[in-house]
Amino acid sequence: MQKHLERQAGVQNAVVSLRDGKVDITPKEDGLIDPAQLLKATYDSGVTVSEMDITATGHVVRLATGVLSFQIEPNRSFEVTPNELSKQLESLVGTSSQVTIRGQVYTKASGKPKGTPTASKIQILEIQGKS
Amino acid sequence: MIWKRIAAPLLLMGLFAGGAQAQIRHVEMRVEGMT
Repeated sequence: MQKHLERQAGVQNAVVSLRDGKVDITPKEDGLIDPAQLLKATYDSGVTVSEMDITATGHVVRLATGVLSFQIEPNRSFEVTPNELSKQLESLVGTSSQVTIRGQVYTKASGKPKGTPTASKIQILEIQGKS
Repeated sequence: MIWKRIAAPLLLMGLFAGGAQAQIRHVEMRVEGMT
């Protein structure tokens, strides 16, 4: 699985911890890493992902639907699931400020139909800094 | 050297831009069924 993950676009290296059931992935600087592709690659290795967290720097914008979106270049964005921490990002909407956050982009829901997992929303777990 | 006068500011600009560049910095997965 480690080799398979390291062959994915934008992946610098992957560290698999069998004991902890944890996989740490360091992206390359090229910005090509795709969380949805990593989920698929992991499933293709015969392993079930129960949770995926990312740490990322990006901008906060408000979509036409009124919800917040966390945008990471190039052309990658996650709809922000409202919580107490997401309220702190409201002030950054429409500014050029960037914020570094840690957030959950995938969790295995019990009873969810089987199929290719997706990562299109982010639940903010920690705001690490604003600039 | 002219090239040094040009390259040095560009390098510094690149370092500053890189520090704040919007990108994914780390990915962590919890997995099941790994042997």
